[in-house]
Amino acid sequence: MKSISLFIDKGTWLNRLHPYTKLLYILAAVAVPLIGGNLWLFVAMIVSSLLILASGKIIKNALPLIAFSFTLIIVIFLIQGLFNHSNETAFFSVFGLTFYKEGVMYATGIGLNILNMLLSFGIFVLTTSPQELVDELEKSGFSPKFGYIINSVFQILPQMMSTKDTITDAQRSRGMETEGKLIVRMKAFLPLISPVVMSSLINTRERAIALEVRGFGRKQKKTWLSDREKNKGDRLIGIILVALIVLTIVWRVVLCR
Amino acid sequence: MDIAKILKTKLDTATIVLIPACIGINYLGKLFASILKLPLWLDSIGTCIGAILGGPIIGAICGAANNIIYGLTTGDNITLIYALTSLGIGFVVGVMARLGFMKTFPKALLCAVGGGLAAVIISTPLNIMFWGGTTGNVWGDALFALTQANGMGVAVGSFLDELVVDVPDKLLTLIIVFFIIKGLPKKLTSLYDVNAEIENLD
Repeated sequence: MKSISLFIDKGTWLNRLHPYTKLLYILAAVAVPLIGGNLWLFVAMIVSSLLILASGKIIKNALPLIAFSFTLIIVIFLIQGLFNHSNETAFFSVFGLTFYKEGVMYATGIGLNILNMLLSFGIFVLTTSPQELVDELEKSGFSPKFGYIINSVFQILPQMMSTKDTITDAQRSRGMETEGKLIVRMKAFLPLISPVVMSSLINTRERAIALEVRGFGRKQKKTWLSDREKNKGDRLIGIILVALIVLTIVWRVVLCR
Repeated sequence: MDIAKILKTKLDTATIVLIPACIGINYLGKLFASILKLPLWLDSIGTCIGAILGGPIIGAICGAANNIIYGLTTGDNITLIYALTSLGIGFVVGVMARLGFMKTFPKALLCAVGGGLAAVIISTPLNIMFWGGTTGNVWGDALFALTQANGMGVAVGSFLDELVVDVPDKLLTLIIVFFIIKGLPKKLTSLYDVNAEIENLD
């Protein structure tokens, strides 16, 4: 059964890093260019994310993540380059369409911001297993019920996927059309989704009873199956990241004077 | 009807189990929409079911948890920003359902418009802040380009962009949800009834 999580265990230093350290990296990567207010900071963070991905041997897996954002970035370039309200200086013309400098610069900022966010999140998503994240969240005081919700999504989804395939096959074999005009496809939506939704809602009743029987609602403190190995890198990287954010704030404040 | 009654929530095992099921349903809706190449998102079916069965608070939790979980595990972290939108949809639909807006079909359509408007109002500032006004939906963005070419404000354009996508999207979503809820067995829906009482015979 295929999981929806993109986690890959390559056993690199990124996998051993604490999930919180990686979350802190996302914060730094997103906050530093926004606070600093300079386009080159985006480029710097993007390059650093790419280097980190490369050192974790996952750069190939990160490419599909970026690929799907390209249509969005292209649309933004077209709309802002052509129609942005502050457009004054003509930049270049293609096929009789004139792109303006202000709009293109604005779109570049947005595009770099998207790429930066995707890559820094990519580091987290590709190297952290959902199970590990849930365990760490619970250890730092999150309710185990919340942890159950996250874990459960990953168990339920593969089940729902296989039900989905069964139902799609069943409906097709009864002659239901799933391709063609928009109206045909719209009509196909309800008979496809409602049986899956119904069965998964009805399953929740049994799941609730099963959990209740096993003491899910008890208030006692829970224990963990596996302990995390202490990692020296976490502290060091954490300090560097916080220092980076503070430095940018200070730099920006000094610059504004 | 007072506010405490509308917001009343049961946080027992049954509702906790409902939340991941709803998050899964959201994912399925999105998946079917992309398999059938529909130009809508249809990714809030589960959130709406959660909101109607469990109330506004559960709806809000379903919505927010949905985007946070997918944002942090599937790499589609653009959804992470819209956690606020999903939260709003879940809450508004939940409140309207408690006010009796899911009882008949015409009222359910009103409920859909309410949910859709909540989504538009929350999403528009996010769209402007992060993408300069576009939504990533073909139809909406074409409209946005048109408004910008005609010199309308970014906020107006972005609002219309979101409106033409979100309201039809929520209408279809809640029509589906309406029929699904109608078809659920009583023994299931009674699990989530906040006013249920246990009767003792001895």
